[in-house]
Amino acid sequence: MNYLLHLLIYLSIYSIVAMSLNMIVGYCGLLSLAQAGYFAVGSYVYALTTLKLGFGFLPALTLAVGVAALLSLALSLPAWRFKGDSFVMVSLAVQTLFFSMFFNWSNPGAEPGTVTNLTNGPFGLAGIPKPSFFQFKADSLPSIAILSLVLATLCGLLCWRLLSSPWGRLLKSMRDDELALRGLGKNVRLAKLQVFAIACGMAAIAGAIYASYVGYINPSAASLDQSILMLCMVLVGGVSNLKGPLVGALVLLTIPELLRFAQIPDEFAANVRLMLYGVALVLMMHFRPQGIAGEYRIQ
Amino acid sequence: MQILCNGIISGFTIGLLALAFNAVYLPTRVFHLALGGVFAVVPFIAWQLLLWKQSWPAAIFVAVAAGVLLSLACEAFNHARLERTGSSSGAHLISSLGIYIVMVQAIALMWGNENKVLRAGVDSVVKVEQITLTHAQLLAGVISLSVLLAFYILLRFTNIGLRLRALADNPSQLALHGYNTRHLRFFAFSIAGLLASVSSLLVAYDIGFDPHGGLIALLLAIVAVIIGGRASWLGPVLGGIVLGLIRSEVAWFLSARWQDAATYALLALFLFVRPRGILGRNLRLEAQS
Repeated sequence: MNYLLHLLIYLSIYSIVAMSLNMIVGYCGLLSLAQAGYFAVGSYVYALTTLKLGFGFLPALTLAVGVAALLSLALSLPAWRFKGDSFVMVSLAVQTLFFSMFFNWSNPGAEPGTVTNLTNGPFGLAGIPKPSFFQFKADSLPSIAILSLVLATLCGLLCWRLLSSPWGRLLKSMRDDELALRGLGKNVRLAKLQVFAIACGMAAIAGAIYASYVGYINPSAASLDQSILMLCMVLVGGVSNLKGPLVGALVLLTIPELLRFAQIPDEFAANVRLMLYGVALVLMMHFRPQGIAGEYRIQ
Repeated sequence: MQILCNGIISGFTIGLLALAFNAVYLPTRVFHLALGGVFAVVPFIAWQLLLWKQSWPAAIFVAVAAGVLLSLACEAFNHARLERTGSSSGAHLISSLGIYIVMVQAIALMWGNENKVLRAGVDSVVKVEQITLTHAQLLAGVISLSVLLAFYILLRFTNIGLRLRALADNPSQLALHGYNTRHLRFFAFSIAGLLASVSSLLVAYDIGFDPHGGLIALLLAIVAVIIGGRASWLGPVLGGIVLGLIRSEVAWFLSARWQDAATYALLALFLFVRPRGILGRNLRLEAQS
């Protein structure tokens, strides 16, 4: 039972990430490798505010979303000009800068969480408190599962409302023909700022839940491998609708669990899992470029 | 002077890999990320052969041949098929990423995740006036310089080099003139495999290797391509040298931990200020896509 709840928490976290990345990949047509960076920003902001400033769950979460949304400018301003391969490289640069920041902003002499040793470098921050707000204290597995599920549902609802609104239509047409849309007098740049802020903010929500559930965060949460995994989810599941990213998160989280049942020795399991992700990417591009349940093919 | 020299030599190996990437990217527009997998796998093959008591030349020859074949296999089983079905460049990039992941995980399964070295013991040093170089560095400098020269001679003075440049310029025009562009694409991929294998072996001989270094090295090379100029054949090498210099300066004055941050900050700077790179030409808007 605990195992299933654990899976449910991970599924909620990664569904939120996949839905946020769907906004960028599916609705802007841009491949971003920086999503793990924003995920980690959410985790770190949540961890630092709860540990050092004694914030509750909701204020810390709000601040995490705010900071990530602000930092999303690092992606959305370049998105005004770049697309295709160039944008992939820009997002990679942002990703590397985030990782270097989390990895290097440390000073062994100082206490973790102070200005000179903000992230404690490779050792990460430990002892992050479990979420609690009002009278509700999510310190058991079922309560965290419920909380993460509720947050994932809220994010899903938000995505659904936003993306089926005229604003969602604006994004889709911007992806398909930006020049025509500008000719019609739409503010394409503003739309890009908005969509990146929302998507990165959502990734930060997922990061905050992750930090509060695991209780520990280190720079590997912002690694390139994590970004690639997140991108795999939306590409395998499909983009440009609501169910694609959910299917992707479900499939990519089910594969390792199936491997566990297939009695593959533990020392090989991680490699085999990643290998299957790679195979899935190649097969998808050959036989179903829009993903399992998606509607849009990457240009 | 010492830092300058170290920087230039590491710049040559970056430039070699950057040129390998561009040898595919310019003629075929394929974002050949699987080259990172080739880069990772080649030293392991050489290492295994040396373990089996094969001679150095045999090990190097087989490893480089394997690198070329792997790169060719990427074209034969993946990109050629995607090209026939008219897939987008995004599909090429993503499937190439998939192949890279498969290759790296296969290496990790076969040989484990640890760091390995090709040579045993401490390297001997050569002193020229105030500069101290290790033998591995000297070897890297000389070999990469001669391979680069050979490649440019091939590109500039031979028939197939001319065709390769033509393919980079305008593939459909070349095909209309009756040249087999599919064969030329295979040639481009094999050249890329060759250059990447050489660069990989040189780096592995100098500082060792592990399964996950491939993508990092390749991304560095792609940064060099962008800095140097994507539309140019000389650009990647120039970009590689610039990167090598800057990285060694950063390592000297700040810390090796900031090398990557400095590299990507430089990339961002170039993308904003001069997106066509140092040697890039300004193309007309229609030709830029």
